[in-house]
Amino acid sequence: MDYHVKLDMFEGPLDLLLHLISKAKIKIEDVSITEITEQYLEYLDRMKEFDVEIASEFLVMAATLLYIKSRSLLPKPKDEEQEESDPEQDLIRRLAEYKKYKEASEKLRQRENIYSNIYYKLPEELVDDKAKNSSTLIEGDVNDLVLAFLKLMSQRKFQKNEISIYPIIRRSITVSQRIREIKKILTKTSQCSFFQLLEDSCHRSDVVVTFLALLEMLKDNQIRIYQQGQFEDIIIRRASRGYGRT
Amino acid sequence: MKTLLLGGLVEDMDERDIMGLIETLLFVSGDAIPTKRIADFLDMDVRKARKLMEKLIDVFNFERRGLQIIRVNDSYQLATRPEYGEYIEKFFGADKKQSLSQAVLETLSIIAYRQPITRMDIELIRGVKCEYAINVLLEKGLIKEVGRMDAPGRPILYGTTDLFLKSFGLTSLEDLPPLEEGIEE
Repeated sequence: MDYHVKLDMFEGPLDLLLHLISKAKIKIEDVSITEITEQYLEYLDRMKEFDVEIASEFLVMAATLLYIKSRSLLPKPKDEEQEESDPEQDLIRRLAEYKKYKEASEKLRQRENIYSNIYYKLPEELVDDKAKNSSTLIEGDVNDLVLAFLKLMSQRKFQKNEISIYPIIRRSITVSQRIREIKKILTKTSQCSFFQLLEDSCHRSDVVVTFLALLEMLKDNQIRIYQQGQFEDIIIRRASRGYGRT
Repeated sequence: MKTLLLGGLVEDMDERDIMGLIETLLFVSGDAIPTKRIADFLDMDVRKARKLMEKLIDVFNFERRGLQIIRVNDSYQLATRPEYGEYIEKFFGADKKQSLSQAVLETLSIIAYRQPITRMDIELIRGVKCEYAINVLLEKGLIKEVGRMDAPGRPILYGTTDLFLKSFGLTSLEDLPPLEEGIEE
């Protein structure tokens, strides 16, 4: 049986690293990248195990971590000046930077929760009218255009959201009614065609009902039908011995 | 009684009358009105107009009115109070406004604090692609293009909008909660 394990979702490799660091209860500055690397790779393995598609960014970070780890194992190059930036310090700086904005976004979330509860009033119509009537040119830029467009789209959306219900009219002609009609036509003219019968109705149900009516009449020996070939017009003739069975 | 004429009307009205007039204008406007426009209309100093607006805000708050006046970048707007939000939803059977996803919110906060900023710089900080998040924010009108960087490819610079400030109850960008400074270089 299948079983599902919920993995914590992370916004990216930095997010995952921060999570691992906070779980280890250490400060970012004191992180040993080599230790964290193990856990990071372990997590990626688990993602693979659970058939989670791993985004390329996670793999890039794995490569970076392994690079840092390998560097720490190798003897340091003699001329230190050549190595200007230490990738480990770079990564730690990036982590600290990311953490800053992640925390800020949490504060913004709190504010969002409060302030999304505020409602405003739409401008009165006269405000719009005035803007429409005055042909003063306003200096605008791309953003004004975008805003105007979004405003329009939101109005459209509003209209679209109003559910409109169209009644679907069912033509209520029955097969027996149709038989009567066809009989009437056939008393006037001894012969007519299927296409003629359908001349002034393009509704699918009319075609079906007419066809059923013809089949019914044919079965009852009321008509004879002729056709030149497949998909050709069907010629309908009154049965020579009048209506009804012989 | 004198007829009210623009320009001369301020002298014939006491402060309460003027505040009532401003309240009326805010109501009809619906949108935010810049202080400058109010000041010009009332033929008064912008500083005085701003003071009057702040006083009006105080009056609304002191009387615990259902509506409040909010300030966004030196513009004023009439709005409901957040604490009544859930009742509005209940009364009108409206759905709760959908909140931004974590990815979108992180992107927004980077733009807010670091604007103007290019997409590449945002992605460098987050360590993941941000194209989708940026598109969502543009569509919601929370950010906008503020120019182009003078660099190869002339990448677009993004900044936040007044709608961003309003949506997060901020009066200006200075009002953003200070960043928790970690280790700096």
